[in-house]
Amino acid sequence: MVANSNRGPAPDVSEAPEGIRSQEMLLNMGPQHPSTHGVLRLVLTLEGETVVDCTPVIGYLHRGIEKILENRPIMGGIRYMDNADYLSPMLNETAYAGAVEQLMGIEPPRRAQYIRLLTNELQRIASHLVAIGTYGLDLGAFTPVLWCFRDREGILSLFEALGGSRFNVNYMRVGGVLHDFPKNWLKECETFLDQLEKNMAELEILLTGNEIFEARTQGVGYIDPQQAIAYGITGPMLRASGVNWDLRVNRPYMAYREVKVNPQVRQEGDCFARYKVRMQEIWESIRLCRVAIDQMPGGPIGTRTPIALRPPRGETYFAIESSKGELGVYFISDGSEYPWRAKLRGPSFVNLQILPELLRGHKMSDTVAILGSIDIVLGEVDR
Amino acid sequence: MRIIIADDFLTQLIHGIISWQFLQFIVAFLSFFGFVLTSAVILILAERKIMGWMQDRVGPVHTGPWGLLQTVADVGKLLMKEDIHASKTDKSLFWLAPSVFLAPVIAAFAVLPFSPYVGIPGTALATGIVYYVAMSSIDVVGIVMAGWSSNNKYSLIGGLRSAAQMISYELPLVLSLVGIVMLTSVLANTGIGTISIRDIQTFQSSSLYPGKGIGFFDFIFQGFTPWAWFFLVQPLMLVIYYTCGLAETNRAPFDLPEAESELVAGYLTEYSGMRWALFFLGEYGNMTIVSAIASYLFLGGFSGPGVAYLTGLGSLGWGFLGNILGIIYFVLKVYLLCFVFIWVRSTLPRLRADQLMQFAWLILIPTTLLNILVTGMIYLIVNGLGLPTLVFQIVLGVVNWIGFFVFVRIVARATVATTRRAQAPAIRAQRQPFAAVGQIAERATTVAQK
Repeated sequence: MVANSNRGPAPDVSEAPEGIRSQEMLLNMGPQHPSTHGVLRLVLTLEGETVVDCTPVIGYLHRGIEKILENRPIMGGIRYMDNADYLSPMLNETAYAGAVEQLMGIEPPRRAQYIRLLTNELQRIASHLVAIGTYGLDLGAFTPVLWCFRDREGILSLFEALGGSRFNVNYMRVGGVLHDFPKNWLKECETFLDQLEKNMAELEILLTGNEIFEARTQGVGYIDPQQAIAYGITGPMLRASGVNWDLRVNRPYMAYREVKVNPQVRQEGDCFARYKVRMQEIWESIRLCRVAIDQMPGGPIGTRTPIALRPPRGETYFAIESSKGELGVYFISDGSEYPWRAKLRGPSFVNLQILPELLRGHKMSDTVAILGSIDIVLGEVDR
Repeated sequence: MRIIIADDFLTQLIHGIISWQFLQFIVAFLSFFGFVLTSAVILILAERKIMGWMQDRVGPVHTGPWGLLQTVADVGKLLMKEDIHASKTDKSLFWLAPSVFLAPVIAAFAVLPFSPYVGIPGTALATGIVYYVAMSSIDVVGIVMAGWSSNNKYSLIGGLRSAAQMISYELPLVLSLVGIVMLTSVLANTGIGTISIRDIQTFQSSSLYPGKGIGFFDFIFQGFTPWAWFFLVQPLMLVIYYTCGLAETNRAPFDLPEAESELVAGYLTEYSGMRWALFFLGEYGNMTIVSAIASYLFLGGFSGPGVAYLTGLGSLGWGFLGNILGIIYFVLKVYLLCFVFIWVRSTLPRLRADQLMQFAWLILIPTTLLNILVTGMIYLIVNGLGLPTLVFQIVLGVVNWIGFFVFVRIVARATVATTRRAQAPAIRAQRQPFAAVGQIAERATTVAQK
């Protein structure tokens, strides 16, 4: 039995009929399991189908990204940031580049900021599409995941045209971005957004209005606002619990100082609200992409920086609103080419903490429903 | 004395084996087995292709032209795989379980006439519906055996879930068929209904078309009267029967025993190779038999334009052609219903175990019981007024169609409402007194402004 300080009261077995002994069952869910979103391991204690206790075990995907960052020149670290939250590499890179810029006192040119905003919002759409699709799969709906990945494919193709790589884009640079747009890229992007709007409307019909989907998600995994703040939850999960907190609005950075974002908040605090917030954020991101395309300023795409970046001695913390929540980079420089320390504040890791609290008392089938609604990426949890 | 008995027994056995009936039985059995196998192979391919079409992808394309040989290749691969079982499994049960699952499926086909002539000898089985229900409830034994013997917790949960599920859904499944039997007892002049599937099918050819008109109309409408099919009289029961069929065959949205996202593969987790394929075969065979029974009881079975006319001519050649036509119509109807299975699977998410039970016990069983009551009462009223059975059919049909739409409207809300009520304690336990949402949000924004 894995020790767990959060263990709840023992279930009442006195009601069991005479002569029948019931026993708790220890179920090892993962690391190889279809719906633990990678290699999360949950040690579940079951009483029948009811979850009595749960201990998440993490670390199966630990690659020491923070340590790698310390051993790379600063510019070389950007490529490794792609692998942290591998579903939103653009956002990770933005956080890293932003931290270094903040330390060096560089302000990227406006065009670079808008390009970052555009790519970030596209990346947010892609990440939310995976979250929603796999959430449908967790609940047993087979079709949404394929539709979502089809739409995500369009975004990956756009990134491929932009940075030369689909997944680990390696596109951001300290002080700007790598390339300007290829010819007609913005037009393709707009065509894609038009198509995406149609596809999202279809997806809403398939999933949002489905009675079984509602029955599976509404009232399941309730987090109240106080609890959410106490656990340090950020991102769509926090906004689904009724707390209006979005770094793009509350602590605007880069182009978000100029572009107004409407944060998506819901009051229910259950799995359905979390799903719904993500769905609304996709629509909001589509709108932001259009704004960015319309207002795209001219000018350079980056400031000139020395090849060997030597930020001044000092420390900084820079956080952006990633697709999962607050993605922060804490950066200490000793004045050399290498960061002395780079620490990531991964939103998935922090959001995952509340899982045992949520699971207790729910049915075993709700385990995957709740876990899916947290939307973790193990690459970021384990780093 | 004992020797004489034994001698008698042996001669009886030998006489039984070397006989015309036994040969007929062997041929019938082999053809049903062949039908199940072929049907499963076709359905698996159809499922992959149709789901691919619905999900904006192509499905299998590389094996054979248009991917048609994919399932054949799969079967070949499964046959050649090593027969693996995990250590500490209950070997005999583990090996026996797939057979126990598959055998009743094949046996259930014995009640089906495929066409006017093609059926098991004596087709006897006047106990049609009862026999079918009995066979379909044996399946669960195989699943529980598989779940228990696999020595795997996921398998165990899957097996127990399926036991609860299949036993619960057996009841509304049977009760939904009772309405049909009552209907036949009214339609029969003797007042005695039937549970033989062949007879129920003949009750669906209406006396409204006597068959003495022009040859062309005779050809089409003799024995083929879609206005008398029972799904027009009892549409609600068709839907309920079909829903229970989904649960009986462990298909989505009731595929909890093998729920991939929770239980890896449920009772199938430890199986591989041909034993796994036998379970798969059983599942698709089950799908076929549920659809086949539905097509017989509600959609007129093999009846279609030309079948009754051609077989009624008395000529061997035309009769043969009529039978072929009958088989074609029957298989078309079966596959149409199977298509709905696949359609449902690619549309709906999965229910939770407690919601599944609530749906059966709180919604389906009361509805079917009510249907029996209403059918009986309408008959009493109509009969008491001295009106013909046609009026009874029409009134029953109208009531049932209204019930059908009400059911569809209500069931969604009822499902959501009952689950919410069931979850209320869990939610209340987690919800602590709290009235500072606004304050916290305010504080958050003020912090941001600083």
